[in-house]
Amino acid sequence: MTSNIIVFSEDSKIINDALHVAYSLSEKTGNLIALTNSDENAEEYFRNFDEVYVTKKDLMPDQWASLLRKVFLEKNANYVIAPHTVNNNDILSFLSAKEGMHMVSNALSFQEKGDYYVFSRQVIGGRGISYIEISKNEKIALTVPLKVYPKINLNKSPLVKEITEIPNSKINFAGFEERKRSGVNIENADIVIGVGRGFKNKEDLKLAQELADAINGVVGCSRPIAADYGWLPNDLWIGISSKIIKPKLYIAVGISGAPQHVSGIMDSKVIVAINKDKNASIFKYADYGVVADLYQFLPTLTKKIKEMKK
Amino acid sequence: MVNIAVLAKISLNLNLLKIESNGKINTAESPLAISEYDKNALEEALRIREKFGGKVICISVLTWGPVNKKLQDAERIMRETLALGVDEAHLVVDDYFDSCSPLETSLAIASVLRKLGNFDLYLCGESSMDVSSAQIPARIASILDIPFITYVAKIRIEENKIFFHRELPNGVQIIEAQPPLVVSVTGEINQPRLPTLKQILQSKNKPLIKYTLKDLQIETKAGKLNQWMEVRPVIRKNIIYEGSKLEEIAQDLINNLIQEGVLKI
Repeated sequence: MTSNIIVFSEDSKIINDALHVAYSLSEKTGNLIALTNSDENAEEYFRNFDEVYVTKKDLMPDQWASLLRKVFLEKNANYVIAPHTVNNNDILSFLSAKEGMHMVSNALSFQEKGDYYVFSRQVIGGRGISYIEISKNEKIALTVPLKVYPKINLNKSPLVKEITEIPNSKINFAGFEERKRSGVNIENADIVIGVGRGFKNKEDLKLAQELADAINGVVGCSRPIAADYGWLPNDLWIGISSKIIKPKLYIAVGISGAPQHVSGIMDSKVIVAINKDKNASIFKYADYGVVADLYQFLPTLTKKIKEMKK
Repeated sequence: MVNIAVLAKISLNLNLLKIESNGKINTAESPLAISEYDKNALEEALRIREKFGGKVICISVLTWGPVNKKLQDAERIMRETLALGVDEAHLVVDDYFDSCSPLETSLAIASVLRKLGNFDLYLCGESSMDVSSAQIPARIASILDIPFITYVAKIRIEENKIFFHRELPNGVQIIEAQPPLVVSVTGEINQPRLPTLKQILQSKNKPLIKYTLKDLQIETKAGKLNQWMEVRPVIRKNIIYEGSKLEEIAQDLINNLIQEGVLKI
């Protein structure tokens, strides 16, 4: 069965991250229709679609949700697919409830099995995979992780339509406090040192930085260090709702191993954990675990490495 | 007065998962626990009630069956919410909901909510710790036809306005909105309390109301999905160093990392 597929993203820069899945589910024949915002480079992102509905305005999630529903119904679409972000996932959930549809959040992979698709996604904090069978006849919504599926280029000539009627929002934007960015691309680093709540003061993070400098690594962090304490910029926060990394070596220092953090490091080649709590769950995910006070062990480790370099 | 419904998930206890030899997670034999961030939602509800008065109820759907094996564990968790200060607990228990999807869970929650009347706030955690689909807040808002605000790390109530600070990857977005609202909270919003012994004893006299499928109005055209969970076949070496000889440990660790080809000195 082929039919129209809606690809949605409130941010057009990432809309093509959902393209591979959309194109595959369209069985290469259905129309791909985008609903997204527009910026100066948008034309480039839109080349892969048959039709594009755009707005240049900044919209709230509830406004996107009603526009998405309108396009979905008008186009009699079977699938709605979005790159996974907090807001995109909410907006698709809202539509799914209105239309009585199932939805798969953050679908890592999919395969055909007769009249079904089997989708997989991470569960139990990255330790498990859930497999979900959905009939091909069923209308569904999907979000897919960024930078996971292959890039494709369909080179179409889309019909671009600007949305003129924007529904009102029931909630009001009252400000945005931007977080400083480190500028470090933690996703591309071969060695990452993750710091967590085991550090007592912001100044103490230099112990991790010194180790990072000695082994050519970069420092990242668990959620509380960025979101709660503000000790490091948000772009260094490693976890399922932020950066997912797969370095050759990940060293978790003073990190307990909350599911939301562990999901972001599962694909690291080698994981080292340093924690004074022997029962910290991070040790379950570690190749090498050191049960020790980070304040004693980190300087020892850094010193040893420097000695060996001489 | 602010009346609050807390939507709490009875999750699999991630520390006590029963894993079969083929890697499948045996959910029927795995014990339960209240989902991590839902504890923060409960705490926030109790704090708002302490300031402004009102009622706090808790709703949950047992999505890990079978009911005959899990009922006691689920009731224990609902009693814990009562001990913390919730006024009434409402629990949906029916084998229909065993391993169900957010579609069915949200319909069950909404159906119970309709019986109970209107609330000002519907609070829940940002996502569940076992399945983490993060669909429930927006789905409930959609069914109730009210707005949703997710990933809230701070709620600020000023005179007639309520401000919500949303923790997003690139910064904090501040939203002002009027109830009724569905709000999901992050783990940073507060530090959940523990119940006192007196509260634990008192919780036995508080109402815990149970519902089965026939008590609810649930209509869906979508079929129930077949789904299962497996533990990822990621094998870690789990070599653990303990003791006071830190220099030796450091040397051994470095040697191992060099041998693995992940460290160059």
